[in-house]
Amino acid sequence: MSSDEHVRIFEVTTKDLEGLPDSRGETVRSMLKTDHGIKVDSVRVIMGYQVRSTISDAQAETLTYDLFADPVIEVAKTGSRILDDFSDAPEVAIQIGFKPGVTDNTAQAGLDGLTTLFPEQKEARVATYRTYAFWGVEGTASPSELAATLHNPMIERMSVADRDGCLNGHWPQLGFPDVPPNIFEEPTTIDLEVCDDELLEISERGLLALNLEEMKAIQSHYRDPAVRAERTEQGLQSDRPTDAELECLAQTWSEHCSHKIFAAKIRHVDKATDEDTTINSLFKTHIMQPTLDIQKEVDWLLSIFHDNSGVISWNDEWSVCIKAETHNSPSALDPFGGAITGIVGVNRDILGTGLGARPIANTDVFCFGPPDYSGTIPPGLFHPSRVFRGVHSGVRSGGNESGIPTVNGAMVFDERYIGKPLVFCGTVGIMPRTLADGRESHVKTPEPGDVVYMVGGRVGSDGIHGATFSSLELTEESPSSAVQIGDPITQKKMLDMILEARDEGLIQVITDNGAGGLSSSVGEMAELTGGAKLDLGKVPLKQAGLSSWEILVSESQERMTVGVRPDDCEKFEALASLHEVEATAVGEFTDSGAFVVHHGQTPVAHLPIHFLFDGCPQLNLDSEWNPPTHLPVETPELDEEGMGKLLARLLARPNVASKEWWVRSYDHEVIAQSVIKPFCGTNHDAPGDAAVIAPIQGGTQGLVISNGIAPRYSDIDSYAMAAASVDEALRNAVCVGVDLDLIAGLDNFCWPDPIESSKTPDGRYKLAQLVRANRALDDVCRAYRLPCISGKDSMKNDAMIGGEKISVPPTLLFSLLGNHEDVRKAVSSDFKKPGDAIFLVGETHQELGASELAFMLRDEGSGGIGGAVPEIEPERNMTVYRALASSMKSGLVSSAHDCSDGGLAVALAECCFGADSGASIDISPLQSDCSDLDDWGALFGESLGRILVSVRPSDKEAFEESMEGVCCHYLGVVSKGDAISVSRDGEKVLLGSMSEMRDSWKDTLHGGGL
Amino acid sequence: MTPRVAVMSGFGINCETETMAVFEMSGAHADRVHVNRLVNGDLNLSDYQIMAIPGGFSFGDHLGSGRLMGNRLRFGLRDQVRGFVREGKPVIGICNGFQVLVKMGLLPGDEEVSLTQTASLALNDSGHYENRWATLEFDSKSPCIWTAGLERIRVPVRHGEGKFVTDDPNLMDRWAESGQLVARYVDPSNEYPSASDNILPYPISPNQSWRNIAGVCDPTGLVFGLMPHPEANHSTWLGATWTREDNEHGQGEGMAIFHNAVSHVMDS
Repeated sequence: MSSDEHVRIFEVTTKDLEGLPDSRGETVRSMLKTDHGIKVDSVRVIMGYQVRSTISDAQAETLTYDLFADPVIEVAKTGSRILDDFSDAPEVAIQIGFKPGVTDNTAQAGLDGLTTLFPEQKEARVATYRTYAFWGVEGTASPSELAATLHNPMIERMSVADRDGCLNGHWPQLGFPDVPPNIFEEPTTIDLEVCDDELLEISERGLLALNLEEMKAIQSHYRDPAVRAERTEQGLQSDRPTDAELECLAQTWSEHCSHKIFAAKIRHVDKATDEDTTINSLFKTHIMQPTLDIQKEVDWLLSIFHDNSGVISWNDEWSVCIKAETHNSPSALDPFGGAITGIVGVNRDILGTGLGARPIANTDVFCFGPPDYSGTIPPGLFHPSRVFRGVHSGVRSGGNESGIPTVNGAMVFDERYIGKPLVFCGTVGIMPRTLADGRESHVKTPEPGDVVYMVGGRVGSDGIHGATFSSLELTEESPSSAVQIGDPITQKKMLDMILEARDEGLIQVITDNGAGGLSSSVGEMAELTGGAKLDLGKVPLKQAGLSSWEILVSESQERMTVGVRPDDCEKFEALASLHEVEATAVGEFTDSGAFVVHHGQTPVAHLPIHFLFDGCPQLNLDSEWNPPTHLPVETPELDEEGMGKLLARLLARPNVASKEWWVRSYDHEVIAQSVIKPFCGTNHDAPGDAAVIAPIQGGTQGLVISNGIAPRYSDIDSYAMAAASVDEALRNAVCVGVDLDLIAGLDNFCWPDPIESSKTPDGRYKLAQLVRANRALDDVCRAYRLPCISGKDSMKNDAMIGGEKISVPPTLLFSLLGNHEDVRKAVSSDFKKPGDAIFLVGETHQELGASELAFMLRDEGSGGIGGAVPEIEPERNMTVYRALASSMKSGLVSSAHDCSDGGLAVALAECCFGADSGASIDISPLQSDCSDLDDWGALFGESLGRILVSVRPSDKEAFEESMEGVCCHYLGVVSKGDAISVSRDGEKVLLGSMSEMRDSWKDTLHGGGL
Repeated sequence: MTPRVAVMSGFGINCETETMAVFEMSGAHADRVHVNRLVNGDLNLSDYQIMAIPGGFSFGDHLGSGRLMGNRLRFGLRDQVRGFVREGKPVIGICNGFQVLVKMGLLPGDEEVSLTQTASLALNDSGHYENRWATLEFDSKSPCIWTAGLERIRVPVRHGEGKFVTDDPNLMDRWAESGQLVARYVDPSNEYPSASDNILPYPISPNQSWRNIAGVCDPTGLVFGLMPHPEANHSTWLGATWTREDNEHGQGEGMAIFHNAVSHVMDS
């Protein structure tokens, strides 16, 4: 197809006006300096639009300033190059545009704008590129080094003009990214009557990620005479699967979709205690059972574990739900695309809960390699700072453009996340308890005969094999088709439409199209009615020629699958059309017992529901716990000023440092519900603990959202890691005044592959870590009466690059959603006034093992991280939390901040930042908690269950009374001025300047520029 | 009569819920009105007394914030919108809604309501989106009916493109004289009134807008747009530092703007 005469190019850049910088260029200049240490004098960015259409010259003229350029602040050209117009020719010019087929949201918007002006141009196509022009690069970086900082070869094309090219006007110019036509492949069948090696070969070749036992289960299904007879009747080859069937099984049975490791039978041996037991499913034993037991005691657990998110009753009118997902592998390959797809994807989990819930808050937790990492980055991986910036940018776009506030999150840094970053995206949703037609909105009500609609985006070749791919380790050959870029606006239009349809009673059942595409979404809902039929010929495609199996499993984004009663279809379609959302009837729910797929007249798949969902054989795994050994922590001899400087260094550690520069670029206040924000204090820069939102406008009942994550402790014991994660989430929630009788949790496990194999010789240990983490989750959640209502696991977080395996530290993210009875009584973490009394609530023990301090001292060259890791006593903690909660209700608490990374000393400094104050405390009283507590343990130990509190002088006595019977130490006072000082037994042990500490705390993760 | 407010929705507008809420809290009746319902004739703008274009990311801010939505209104609803404004009915655009009003030429606007763009909202000097709180001060001599009697309010800004600029310096002076540069960022530690033309340091001026402009009105004072979000400060417990203050709880500092418009309609 060559019709270049119809492609017009429009180029746009910032107009030269005094007081109007080219901020796009400045952003690049600042990023180069901050992330890569490359200093250039100046960068200009030129936006390019390639329009393939039949518009006339006169129409093109109109488009220039009516569509592509802002007539007041931009200049635009069509037919010639802006690069020609600079008085000094640039020294390097780099043009970057997407590869064919990659989602280009700007181009999509451009096309929409084009058809607003010229409605007859429905067949037009638009593509975009950016051209970066550089000046003053001499001696700083070569054109290819500059290009490498901007270009992602996985998804983008690039054209570069070096100095000579620029001098001669040989500007870079990419062609229109025509998608090569897809070749429709007739459905094929796969002969499974082969030897075991060949079965495995079939799995590996097809990226199916099925093991031998699973392949054999499929083989034996097709040997069943009853199955064969049924298939003959359906017009399918009787003795073997079609490609679509095998793909569908691979998706449904993937680790990603069916959580085989959590469902496995595990023989667990503990070498330390000689325990030898068998665990039949970690999920059922340690996650589901505690929740089911708690469900007997409370009446607010509405929908747990089986839907896209867990639902609890918030009050008589509203229920709320929460879900978090990870999007790790895609974020490693394309940080922006992976992250934006992750966040809009988890929003769809909420929209697909019950009959549809409205997403009202996002949480984002990232685990990255250190941004200042100076070692070699293995080929195929990005430097952590690039991953960080890309992921952040993706989550920012996804959340902000969807109008969902990002209210809470965390960032964790460790070198082992260089192999695979962890990108957790969570969303909280709300829905009316009952709809106008009387149905409870958390219950799906599909019936046979309901029409299956695919709503939202179209299906393309993007995102094929995402589910199976994420069930494999990352390699240099990982396929680019597994990468996608989310489109928040298409999704926002769909979301508006779906919620209106819900309120009009038009939705019977709904779920999102995520991993596994239609095969999963229709398949899962077919389980509810006992069958479904689907016609792939009706599915709208981004480009013609997709093969049947590709349409079935493609994970193209922004799609929901909805069941609608036949009588309601007309209304449903009219609503979709109003919102300019595509909704297409593609099938029907049945009670035939099978998931039946055709492509037009051609039968493509016939899979019995019970085989599809229950046919996957249980894994049998071995687990063996041998406690690891580490060099002990070695603490230096320091005077009080030395300790002050050490605290400043600790505050500058990426794990502790202020994330404000990044977090500020998330909208955290859309929906006008934000009571306790990510930052608080007189200068709005002190870190908040949990988020509090009041989602009903004008209402004072609130929701509390918090997170806990503590992967460092896994190096010593994953039991302590998991316990600390749960406690941190609850502790944060307690700090703002959560209602302890209505709290629910969410577990997200991210583990390295824990199945022993030649590639994973330490699989038994990694599995034992998983067992221990689950036991902690069980113990602590029961004690806190904190039921897990949903969760997710990602079990292959390893990267095999150049023969070297990099595994993430075993990581549990625990998210918490709780009630707040009256947000007007919420408490923030900042100290309020000089003279206020400071208390530490909860016991302090000598627990420096795997602490942030231990890692810092090790990184600075002394000792190891070994020692006592924080131990949990959940019953004791809960008593403390209850006392504090009741004291908050009485209005006695001015501030509360949790002690976590860096212990009491860091918490104290952070509370001072919020008040622009100093503090003077005496840690002697802590010795009564623990006889061998030294200054290091008291100041930097990370004992759980502790909250630093301040109260007005006039409330001091009343507060002490209210805390009677629980551990609560008076430490000192908030002071005017800048000095943070700590003494013990009359001697100064730490002295530092609040403002200096704040500077070092803010500097580390400053993203550059303003 | 209870004034009826058309709160626009669709295509990535996302602050319609709270924008409806603040009008309801001010005694009006607010409808969520999908832009296409006006285009297809389901609803008519003339049945409403106030129009609000809420914040959001219409069309993802691609090709410039507010531009594509501005075009939808400018080309699809030209007569309805002009008619509404010429009848003297109040219009507000907040954040993305302000960007829409500027890009479609309704703000700062002209007597003829010619829908010619004369100003713009450029990328913040920081180059990126930011959510932070700012203090606004209002021009007491402005004809703006939305800000009448107001001195200062504290509000969040949440945008990436909020730097108010124009390519015709004469226009800026004219708007200043006519009181159209009605809302400006100020340093809260200075006493009222302190609005000035010298650009305040970041982040007191979060976007380095010319003359610290945060919002403008048209020559009649009925059409008003601003980058910050007064609707997000509808209750005292939504403030940035409310936990540090001993105030009675109730409606927040942003509400006066909406009360003004509703009273204006009730009085006229």
